[in-house]
Amino acid sequence: MNQSTHNATSSNYGVHQIYETLNLSFLHVAIRVKRIDGSAFLYVRDDPKGGIVEKIVPVVSDHLKIEVAPIRPLNHPARRGDCVFLKFDKSIHLDKGSAMTVFVKCPIEIGVFLVNGADRSSFDWFTCDPLNSRFALYGQSDTGILCKYSDVAVSTSENFDDTAYLQAVVKITMENKLDSGNSVSKIVFPITDNSIYYNGSKSILDGIDVTMKKRGLVDIADVKVKPLETDWIKSPTWEPSTTNTIMEMGLE
Amino acid sequence: MIGFLEGLSEMEIISGLTVLSLLFGLIVIGGGVLFAKIVKMLFFKYYAPTLPKDTAKNFGKIIYFGIIAIAVLTFTSSQGIDFSGLLVAGGIFAIVIGFATQSVVSNLISGVFLMIEKPAKHGDSINLPDMGITGTLLDIATFSSKIRKFDGTVVRIPNEKFFTTNIRSFITVARRADAAVGIAYKDDIDGAISAITEEIRHSMPFVLVMPAPEFRIEELSDSSVNIHVYVWYPRPDWGHVQPVMLKAIKNALDKAGIEIPFPQRVIWDSKQ
Repeated sequence: MNQSTHNATSSNYGVHQIYETLNLSFLHVAIRVKRIDGSAFLYVRDDPKGGIVEKIVPVVSDHLKIEVAPIRPLNHPARRGDCVFLKFDKSIHLDKGSAMTVFVKCPIEIGVFLVNGADRSSFDWFTCDPLNSRFALYGQSDTGILCKYSDVAVSTSENFDDTAYLQAVVKITMENKLDSGNSVSKIVFPITDNSIYYNGSKSILDGIDVTMKKRGLVDIADVKVKPLETDWIKSPTWEPSTTNTIMEMGLE
Repeated sequence: MIGFLEGLSEMEIISGLTVLSLLFGLIVIGGGVLFAKIVKMLFFKYYAPTLPKDTAKNFGKIIYFGIIAIAVLTFTSSQGIDFSGLLVAGGIFAIVIGFATQSVVSNLISGVFLMIEKPAKHGDSINLPDMGITGTLLDIATFSSKIRKFDGTVVRIPNEKFFTTNIRSFITVARRADAAVGIAYKDDIDGAISAITEEIRHSMPFVLVMPAPEFRIEELSDSSVNIHVYVWYPRPDWGHVQPVMLKAIKNALDKAGIEIPFPQRVIWDSKQ
């Protein structure tokens, strides 16, 4: 009998149909699934810090079907909000009336889902980069937003190098509708609105539109999601959706 | 049976109020109380979970007492009971009762203002420095509020005191933890800071990247150079940061070979 079958041979992402065993390796994280009797499988994940996560999964058929896919980076070390704070390595100066499109690599986590027909139920999740999976505060301690933080390199072209299992590429379109030039060195947005798509081990997030404009006397940046049109596979999700956000606590 | 009821309807207690109508009133009010309890139960089962806890509690009280009030009014209006005499007597009675129960009324009014102002809500961690109480706010009720201290005991505080005391709230998005450590004069300060920074990054995932950990040289003391370390963390994660911070600092300095000195005295022998 086959050990397991997989519909995406070039990467660990995709749907895996497991009859006896499955072994997957993601940088420093290893996943092992094996049948323990006729009606149950044992799922084991080796944590990068030496911890082991073990779960027993009962099955009604002769196999276990799971999907491994990139998910939003909101769960490690604990879920504390919906927002992501991307700090650019170089600030971008936009003169009044100008616009620019850049690409950045946003961190991701990896989700394991149980597949039951068209339904996907969240089963496990992990990050391949726990050291850089950290929080930041955007704004003041009483009124600010707690975000997942990442230092990102700004690029003018789509670049998937070294992103496998770690990052998804995001296209950011910025437009300055203010009366003066302005620099942007970070972007804060609720990532729960952004879907993730994968192809092989590459992944990509829905785009972001940032419009710098006036709200009364205050300069703000209106951050909205721009859904992608792609034939890549859309990752399952379970987070509730949120609306767009207003960056009103500074752009630099 | 009919004769018995007719008998009751002829037994007048006060003008216009017979025993039968009083029984009818008790049935109406009792039914109202029962109905209010059912509605309140259904509200808490189906709608309250979607509301903030304190809002749900207040709505529950409004629904419960509102239905009972409607039941009482239904009874009194159906029986044509005239309250005008009671109002005059009740007014005088209220003044007397008001003086006699000043603190009770004060607690009641304070409770109403606490519900309007909402200095803290159900589930918030708060500190009342004047009373030396720190814990989780459980409830702001009609006359008193309850706080569960971190040792698990529950403290009841009259609303008047709660309303007039200082309240330190821990409901901010992020909080700061701090710890102090002394290193030997012979050791490199920048090296110690670098080692602590790296250890915090590796072993304390809840410490915020921004605002970044801050280091202040607090004192050049007798035996050591004292460094104060300040880090920010998400409010719910105090337990992952403050209690383990000194351990992380000690581990960092041990790994870097930096000494945490004991108190020292240099003794001069004047004869040598």
